[in-house]
Amino acid sequence: MWRQVLARLGASLVVAWGSITVAFLALHALPGQVEDILAGDLDYPGLREAIAAEWGLDRGIGEQYVAFVTRIASGDFGMSYELRQPVTDVVASQLLPTVYLAATAGILAFSIAVVLATLTSGRGRVARRIASIVELTFASTPVFWIGILLLMVFSFNLRWFPVSGAEGWRSLVLPAITLALPTAGLLTQVLRDAIEKTLDQPFVTTLRARGLSERQIRVQHVLRHAALPMMTLGGWIIGGLLGGAVITEKVFGRPGLGTTTLNAVLSHDVPVVLAVVLLAAFIYVAASTILDVLYVIIDPRLKAQ
Amino acid sequence: MSLNKLRSFFGRSLPVVALGLAATMQVAAAETPSAGGELIFGVTTEPVCFNPHRSTQQNAYILIRNYIDSLVGKVEGGKFVPWLATEWSISPDGKEYIFKLRDDVTFHDGSKFDAEAVKFNIDFVKNAENTNSSGDLLRAVESVEAVSPTEVRIRLTKPDSALLESIASIRLGIISPKSLQAGNGLCAGGRELAGTGPFIFDNYTRGQSVTFVKNENYNWGPDYAKHEGPAYLDKVTVSFLPEYAVRAGALSSGQVDVIEGVQPTDIGLFKDQPGFQFLTGPSGAQTSFTLNINYTIPPATDVRVRRALRDGADIDALVKSVYLGAYPRAFSNIGRDGFFYNKALEGAWGNNVAEANRILDEAGWTGRDAEGFRTKDGERLSIEVGYPQPYVRDNRDVLIQGLQAELRKNLGFDLKLRFISGGEWAQALQAGSWTIYPNTYLPADAAQMLQGNIGELGFIRAVADKGDKELFRLINEALASTDPDEKKKLVDEAQRYAVDQAIIVPLFSANYQLAAKDKVRGLSFETQLDSPSNFYDVWLAKD
Repeated sequence: MWRQVLARLGASLVVAWGSITVAFLALHALPGQVEDILAGDLDYPGLREAIAAEWGLDRGIGEQYVAFVTRIASGDFGMSYELRQPVTDVVASQLLPTVYLAATAGILAFSIAVVLATLTSGRGRVARRIASIVELTFASTPVFWIGILLLMVFSFNLRWFPVSGAEGWRSLVLPAITLALPTAGLLTQVLRDAIEKTLDQPFVTTLRARGLSERQIRVQHVLRHAALPMMTLGGWIIGGLLGGAVITEKVFGRPGLGTTTLNAVLSHDVPVVLAVVLLAAFIYVAASTILDVLYVIIDPRLKAQ
Repeated sequence: MSLNKLRSFFGRSLPVVALGLAATMQVAAAETPSAGGELIFGVTTEPVCFNPHRSTQQNAYILIRNYIDSLVGKVEGGKFVPWLATEWSISPDGKEYIFKLRDDVTFHDGSKFDAEAVKFNIDFVKNAENTNSSGDLLRAVESVEAVSPTEVRIRLTKPDSALLESIASIRLGIISPKSLQAGNGLCAGGRELAGTGPFIFDNYTRGQSVTFVKNENYNWGPDYAKHEGPAYLDKVTVSFLPEYAVRAGALSSGQVDVIEGVQPTDIGLFKDQPGFQFLTGPSGAQTSFTLNINYTIPPATDVRVRRALRDGADIDALVKSVYLGAYPRAFSNIGRDGFFYNKALEGAWGNNVAEANRILDEAGWTGRDAEGFRTKDGERLSIEVGYPQPYVRDNRDVLIQGLQAELRKNLGFDLKLRFISGGEWAQALQAGSWTIYPNTYLPADAAQMLQGNIGELGFIRAVADKGDKELFRLINEALASTDPDEKKKLVDEAQRYAVDQAIIVPLFSANYQLAAKDKVRGLSFETQLDSPSNFYDVWLAKD
């Protein structure tokens, strides 16, 4: 088993290195001077010189590449010439609010999916049909619209929650629900489908024959089997949550990576965009690595291989 | 970058605003302003940088004015009034400016404001090593000298009629030398960014808000301020709410007190509604949203083609349908509240489809292709609008698409719209190969603005040898003119000429809008930027 895990870790490092290389190549493959690309829409005295010095643009391309990889590996993403601050500081200060939001939404989506799917799978036709329509609606509704709708009801009218900010749990409620609902919709569908397939398996009949209650069967045995397809979606979910955070943060005026990314894209702050892209790649790599390891733990069949 | 030079002489404010403000003031006159309270301001845009010397963002200036003062203030009619400088004089040759300073001013960090601080600011901004974008404004400055603690002398290499405008500009606002020396660029604001303004920059949470607290010592407001002493409000929180609907909802549910940027469809929520007020700012400093036509590239070389483009659509109706009456249609590229606006152009052109068709026939565009567009010698009558993506905002692309549809239907004129990158625009500008460039121009002196847009140093500069010499002459003479009346005549004529030759097609005048709870008193707009003033004179009426 440990060989598998180590191999997976090694592969993930290669992927991370590959994404850095792609970022570097993209920067140099774009038409125009690297200085101009990094400067974005900016022009102030001394800017081009500062960029050339920082990125060592007078050196050979190979040397620049080695310096770039080394720098990124040590967590230094350079300067944002737009914000005039080190990119690492900017991103680091914005990471936590997004992690809170995405984690809360992720846990929420997961909980909703498990509860709903366990309750509704294999039940009467009408109940399933209704649940399925609700899920489909949530899965296909834009985050933006859910956010505005929730704000209108719970903030503008009922005034239970503040419209914006990131202070205290109350300001986290609406954004987390907004971000969680589409994911929850999809997860529930996948999970119920898997549960129903599992319920048809012979081992469930065996369990029933042994006199286990329906609740025990579902919670202790079926859910574990059915969790596999949901984990396969793990990478997609993390991507969806990060992407959704951009819109959620904008709607709710929350600080975070999403807001930073959006502002950076709009103001053509290339160093920040580059850092966010790389960070997203690293998160993705890390997440799928962790999931692959979890597979092995959850599914005993893989250990044997 | 002359585009950023904020120069003198734009003036009178919009009658509508004057009326609106007068109405507010009448209410205010019956009450005595009371100190205290907090206010939350919801804004569209999170500033990229809070340091006035480095920011080039109009939407940053409306916040920066709360903590940054200037030596002189600017009022309507292009006049300047005392602020941190009590008086100033200009030598007859225009190469030496002397400013007398107040002696009772302190920075937020406790250090004293004096001639040395002013000298430090100007020297610091001018020094290219410090990479301040405002350095552009000081190109003509040769040296600065602190003659005494309350007297500063600025020497210029050549006369610069715009220097006072620059000094009044927020971009040369005075920052504590201690702050500047700290060397972190001050873009992230906070207490480190110490100015002398009526509020102290207390805190910045990226992506969320900034807070300003009252400067208790403040007693040096500009002459145009409505009161003396410290600001009324104890604290101002600025929330970044980029979503239109969210800002409007936040105000209507009472979670913020004032918002900036109101979507046309939301105006009805606040205008003339009990409990709310709605204010429209002037459009005098910024130019109208205008199509600039490159008349050196066929088929736009033919004035008849350009005039057909100008008159072939009902711009009035288009602007109304897109902005629901929130923005007025423009007749000149100079804002309609500007002192140099040529009012005679109003109603003088536009929406004449029959004449447009006639001159196109006359110009030989008589054929029609399969899609119904006019052709000449097998060529389709087509011009492209290259709209740089970064500048596309508030439905301006929709407006151009409306124009496109009308020109096609009315004339068989193919007005193409293509979104281009900032870099592509820069290249087209350098080569003079752009065909139609839609733009609004930052606040600037009117003649300077004309020069930067349609003068020989304007967008046409790369191919200026093929440019319109008469237009260039009018603009150059307006720039050189020292007599305001003569300058006004020349600028008027340049606008008339440019519209008559259809070198420009002005579309609408944008303005700032504020919506607020009605208990918020003393809201107004700044003449220099058309934008909301700071919160110095703002106070809260008791419920």
